[in-house]
This record gives sequence, C-alpha cells and structure tokens, in this order.
Amino acid sequence: MTLAAILSTLLFIAALVIIFTEKMHRSITAIAAAALMIALGRILGFYSEGAAIEAIDFPTLGLLLGMMMLVAMLEPTGFFQYLAVRAAQASRGKPVRLFILLGGITTVVSMFLDNVTTVVLIAPVTILICEILGIAALPYLLAEALLSNTGGVATLVGDPPNVLIGSAANLSFGDFLTHSLPIVAFAWVAALLLMLYLFRRELARRPKNIRALMRMTPADALNEPENARRLLIVLGAAVIFFLLDPVLHVDPYFVAVAAAGAAMVWIRPDIDQMLKKIEWSVLIFFGALFIMVGGLEAAGVWDLVVELAQGASSIPPVYFGVGLIWIVAILSAVVDNVPVTIALIPIIQGLGRGGMDIGPLWWALAFGAGFGGNGTIIGSTANIIVASLSERTRHPITARLWLRRGLPVMLTTCLIASILFAVFYPWL
Amino acid sequence: MQISKYMKKDVVAIRADAAISDAAQVFVRQHVGMLPVIDKDGRPIGVVTLQDMLTLELPDFVNFVADVDFVHDFGAVETTRPSAAALARSIKKLMKPPFTVPQDCGLLRAYALMIQHSLHDLLIVSADGKLVGIASRVDVGRAILASWSKVEKK
Repeated sequence: MTLAAILSTLLFIAALVIIFTEKMHRSITAIAAAALMIALGRILGFYSEGAAIEAIDFPTLGLLLGMMMLVAMLEPTGFFQYLAVRAAQASRGKPVRLFILLGGITTVVSMFLDNVTTVVLIAPVTILICEILGIAALPYLLAEALLSNTGGVATLVGDPPNVLIGSAANLSFGDFLTHSLPIVAFAWVAALLLMLYLFRRELARRPKNIRALMRMTPADALNEPENARRLLIVLGAAVIFFLLDPVLHVDPYFVAVAAAGAAMVWIRPDIDQMLKKIEWSVLIFFGALFIMVGGLEAAGVWDLVVELAQGASSIPPVYFGVGLIWIVAILSAVVDNVPVTIALIPIIQGLGRGGMDIGPLWWALAFGAGFGGNGTIIGSTANIIVASLSERTRHPITARLWLRRGLPVMLTTCLIASILFAVFYPWL
Repeated sequence: MQISKYMKKDVVAIRADAAISDAAQVFVRQHVGMLPVIDKDGRPIGVVTLQDMLTLELPDFVNFVADVDFVHDFGAVETTRPSAAALARSIKKLMKPPFTVPQDCGLLRAYALMIQHSLHDLLIVSADGKLVGIASRVDVGRAILASWSKVEKK
C-alpha cells in the first residue's frame, strides 16, 4: 500500500466521520476535505486540480439541478396542496382510505420529483387535514416519508442514489421502469400493508369532523392554476423524452435542464426567488464528494478494495448481490445514502473490470440505498424533514417510534427485494 | 416631550407565581392586549400578550400552511380546548422578555422602538427598575399628533 493510498483513505474516513457525527454542516466538511484531497494529491503527485474537475460527474449534477428548478417553479403554484386536498376528499375522511390515498400520491409524486421536496410539500397539508378531522397526523406523516423513500427507488429521477447509479452504469429511465419498478411495486405494497397493520389502532379511531373536510375547496388551494398547468405539461414532456432515451439518445441531464429552461421561458418566474429554492448545499455536497472519491481512485485505493472484493468472487454472484443489498441498506440506515452510493460506485466498476457481471449489482445498490433509508429517523433526508416538522406540532415523532415503525418496513422491503432479486437474477 | 407625561399609570400586571388560567381571567376582565409579569418588588420580569395566550389554542397547521383560504371550516380544531394541565402551568412558561424604557424617554424614540421591535405596548420603569407605567402605540401616537396643533403657521 502506498503512502498516497494510506493518507487519502485516512482523509476520506475522517471526512465521513465528521459528516456522520454532524459536527459541521456536511457541505462544509465535504468542501474542506475535497480541497485537502487536492492539496495532498499535489504534494504526493497523485492528483491535481484538473483531475479533480474531471472526477465531478456533471450529468448527475445537471439532472439534479434541472429537476430542482422545475420543482422550485411548481411549489408556489399550490399544486401539491391541491392534490392532497383532493385525495383527502376522495377518501371521505375514512382513515384507512386516507392513509392509502395520501401514501399513494406521495409515492407517485416522489417517483418523478425528489423525495425531500415531495415530503416538504405534502406533509404540511397532511397536518392540516388530520387536525381538521380531529385525528393524529403521526401515522400519515410516517407513511409519507417511508413510502416516498420506497417509491423513489422505482425511477431514474426518483432518488439521488438512482441518479448517481444511472449516470455511472449508463442506465436509462426505461431501464429503471423495467428492472426496478416491478420489484419496488411489490416492496411498496408490502410496506403499505405492514404499516396498515402496525398503525391498526390509530387508524381505527373515527374522525370527529368529516363535514369540515368535505367543505374545503381544492380549487382555492391551487394558487396559480395556469402556471401549474404549464409546468405539468413541461414535466410530462420531460418524462416522455426520458422514456425515448433508447431511441433519441438524449441524456437525461440535458432533458432536465432543457425542460427547466423551457418552463422558465413559459412562466417567467422571479428568477431570484426561484434560485433561492434550489438546494445548492446538496449540489455542492455532491460535487465535493466526487472530488474526494476521484482522489481515492487516483491514489489507487479502489484497486486495493477491488482486489479484496474479488477474494469474495468464489461466492455465487446471486448471494454476492443479496449481500450487497443488506450491507448497503444497513449503511444507509445509519448514514446518508448519497456518500454510501458515491463510495460504492467505483468499487462496483472495479469489480466489473475484473470480469464480474456487475449488471445486477447496480440494482442491488439501488434497492439497498433506497430501502435502507427507512430504518431510522436519520436514514434519509425525507425522514429528517418529517421528524423536524413534527417537532413543531403537539405530537413529535421520536427516534424510538421511528425504529418501532420504520425498521420493520426497512427489513420487509429489503427481504422482498432480496427474494425477487434472487428469483429474477438472470433477467437483471 | 417625555413619555412619563403620556403613559397610563394604573398598570394591570400579574405576579410571576400566577398560572396561565389566572392570566386568562385578567385578560377577560381588563380588556388589555398585554400583561406585564412582575416580581414581588414590582420589577417587570416578562410580558405575556393576548396573542401568546392564544397560541395554546391555535392549530399546528397554521404554522406550516401559508394560505388557508381553501379551508372554510376548521372542523375538529374549532372545538378543541387546551388541557387543564396546560392551563395550570406557570405564566413564566408563556412570557417573553420585557422591553422597557426609562421615564424620561422621548416620545419619538419610544415610537421608533415600538415600530422596530414590533411592540404594541411599552413598559416604563423608574430609575430603580420598578414598573411605573405603560404606553400603547395609540397613547404615543396621539401625543405626537396633538403636538402638531402647536406648529406655527408662517
């Protein structure tokens, strides 16, 4: 092992520890560590500024930025509020139906938009609906976070790890629909049924005031109907282009950014207001992680890891994949799934260079990263958002409660993903 | 123009050992928007506004949903009441730090402070920190406007 490999590994581990202990904002840690990695590379001669820029996966950043801009424009239209009110009225205030409908809407939206945004937009209306009905919002909030984490795994743009995996493995939007969606659908139904059972006592309470719910006027919840219509047309067109990728060969990141551009020309938002809603710290976090991982790669660390992993190549590939699902899931439950995914991508690529069939492993990584986040209150950003929102209400969600309700969902979805992964392995 | 000339001297205040329910009764009887909380020496240690009191009743969603125009009936929250336990808690749980000015504070300075700190009422204290008066925006504003009649025409 070279000095470069040892020092760069130590730097990376130190950065991860600081990120996971949340001593500093993760983006600050990541920028500082990326700068140190380049400095280390210059001193020891294994990495440089130019190589660092090349290590940044711009397609991933472009796809995230494009989708963030579209959401930033869609948010003020009140479309999500409208959807939630409509769903609640369709349930006629029956708790189980309301649970399924709100969970279902959150899932569908989070398949096309970022989970965090989806939850940020749906959770407040959920609190409103539950308070007016006179029932506890807690089961519904938890279900929205858990189901959006689960549903997000189904599509290329549903979840940041998927964007990363799609870009690294050259998987299209359609690939996700044919490989990930069917397995996620099973896992999703299982998660829903399990939660209906876990929350059976809460859902048996009868709402006190259904008339008030039915008197809401969803049309008034839609603040800017014309802009909502335009943005949905643009989003729909973007999804069609995502699907036509195998025919047209247009990269998803170009589609996302072009769609955002078209939408901006069409609705002319206040650009400063809109750009404030972009999660720049997330984009910077990604960029800095890419630079760090690029440094590890240049220092030859991944070659060593790949050698180690190849020692495990005597294990049948199906078991290897199932093992990967669980390792990634457990890591993603205790830490953010983005660094886990960014760190594992080069290792899987290395295994591929070593002759292993890595096609199925990408899906194992996606399932582990997505479903693992359900396990704990800090497992995904959507969980943290829901929990911190609930802290400002009279019934906060505690870390213990999350373990009691979320962990069973994580274990069940991972188990189902493992079984289906093994059964359908030849087709993955 | 010193504020002490225009302030109300008969201040309705509440002692620090009072419960939230005691404060509620004072608000109901006295028709005030804010209650100073004083210690046993008459020094203000906090203030509690009508608005602070009503947060106990307000539903959580009001903090999250910016525009609730589409909700025509607040349903179940309309009939919820704070629990007896919540009402029995000390007023200290609800009060905020007091904002005070000395008796010789000028009217314009008093008004500017109220605007900048979004205060509707200002507490006036003596040199030894005791509460001696209270002035509302209306008290201060009227006093300033009254002085306009003395502006000489040229």
